[in-house]
Order: sequence, then C-alpha cells, then structure tokens
Amino acid sequence: MTLSLLALLISGCTQSESSVVREVPIQQAWQLEPGQQVGEHRIAGGLGDISIEMRGDRIYAPFDGELQPNNVPNCYVFSSPEVPAYIFRLCGLERPRLGAVAQGSAMGSADFLGFATLRRQPDGHWTMVEPASDVLQRLLDPDAMQVGGGEE
Amino acid sequence: MQRHSIDSPSIHPLLLGGLFLAFLGLMLDFRSVLPFNTSAAPPERCQGDVNHEVVLSREQLAQLLTVPERDTKQRVQEIVGAPFCSLQSLQVRAGIAAERQVYPLAFDPSTRLVILYEGDEYAGYRFSFQ
Repeated sequence: MTLSLLALLISGCTQSESSVVREVPIQQAWQLEPGQQVGEHRIAGGLGDISIEMRGDRIYAPFDGELQPNNVPNCYVFSSPEVPAYIFRLCGLERPRLGAVAQGSAMGSADFLGFATLRRQPDGHWTMVEPASDVLQRLLDPDAMQVGGGEE
Repeated sequence: MQRHSIDSPSIHPLLLGGLFLAFLGLMLDFRSVLPFNTSAAPPERCQGDVNHEVVLSREQLAQLLTVPERDTKQRVQEIVGAPFCSLQSLQVRAGIAAERQVYPLAFDPSTRLVILYEGDEYAGYRFSFQ
C-alpha cells in the first residue's frame, strides 16, 4: 500500500509532459537512418549527424529550453523558445535530464554524441541542415555563450 | 524462518524509514542548489537598443500566424513593426546569421514572441514564457 502510494506520488510529481516522445518527421528519407537495425547492430548515426568524441563528458543546454525523448531510440530532442524554427537532435545521450533545462545546465553525458540541426519547413516537416559551430560550442561548454556577448 | 519474515505483511521499520528518506529526496529539488544549474535564470538578455513601448496586439499576432515560413522579413515586419529588442546574433546553421527579435504580448506581458530571420527570410516564431 505504501509502495503504491509512493509510486503514484512519483508519477504524479515528476516529468509528466517531458517524457512524452517527440516525433520529428524529417524531410530527408534515407535508406539508412539512426535507430535502424543492420543485422544485429543498430545504426547510431546517419547522414546529417555530427559525431563528437565526448569520453563521458557532460553536454550542456545551449539555451533555456526543453529536452524530450525522440522517436528514434537513444535520441533526444532539444528545443528552445529563444531559437524559433530550429530543433536539435542529440543521440547517444546518457542519463538525460528530461524536461525544462536552463542554459548552461547539464543535460546528460555521452561517449559519442550524435548532433543534428533541424530546420522547420512550412509543411511541418523538419529538414537537416549543416550545423554551425556556435550551437555546438554552447553544447560542449556551459560558458560558451559569453563569447561574443561579453567582450565590451 | 527467513522466508517467514519476508512474507510478513507488515513493512520492516528500517525499510519504511528508507522509503521515507527516498520520498523526501524526491520531493526536494536539489537541482536549484547545485552549481551547474541555473533554473531560475532570466530569459536571454536583449542586445543593443530596447524600445520599451513596443508590444504586440492580438490583431498583429493573428496576422503574423498567417505568414508561412520562408516568406520575406519585410512582410513580417509590415505586420509587427520594429521589435522591442534583439537577442544576440548567432549562427544556427553554418554560414547563415540568425537574427532574433523580441515582442512582448500586449495582452500577456509575461509572454514574449521571438521571431527568427535569416537574411531577408522569415524562418519562424516561438512563444517564450517567463
């Protein structure tokens, strides 16, 4: 009885919306995509993903935003109201902190991080674009947002 | 005898204590205490000039929502006018500068609309809740 009450309280108190899987319809349809299985092995990254050797280091929120699970297994979607028209897919994230995340706070860690930048299309699809180093730097260094803004 | 104690309907006091502590831990949000987190951070700061009198009306917002992504910046600016302020310029995709402009909502001052342009192109909007 105590246990069921505890379970009820936990499920009621934490991460209700944040654990909802965010499906991202991607415009480019490739034969081989992350999440697919080839023989006994799963594809971890595909065309459009930048793979970064993280060696277990932390990954930080580049802006105030939200981290949600993605329909691709082992991948997560970061989005921010401060950056309209774009979302970021992070694959390989371990111990992810789902839900609202503040800029510069840790979102998890990774051995290898697969990073993709997706831009919203007028038809509601998302298209993979070439990521810029600005956002990637913010993901890897919580103090990177000071660059450019704090020079005067 | 051991099996008997496991099957016992009453929960061992030690287990109950552990459950209580675990529950207490779940209730307390340590994230705001830890140094790597700044949950209470204010929204991204304005860069450059701030036009304090700028707010977006319901009519302007309704009109903006009819503009499709990829339309011109000029079309959007004819509807919304000059912004309250701009956020730090950055590149989201390589080689293209993203310009972000902010408009507080007249009917909901705690919400602001952020519009993103790339060159002369309107890329999209999002609401930012404070």
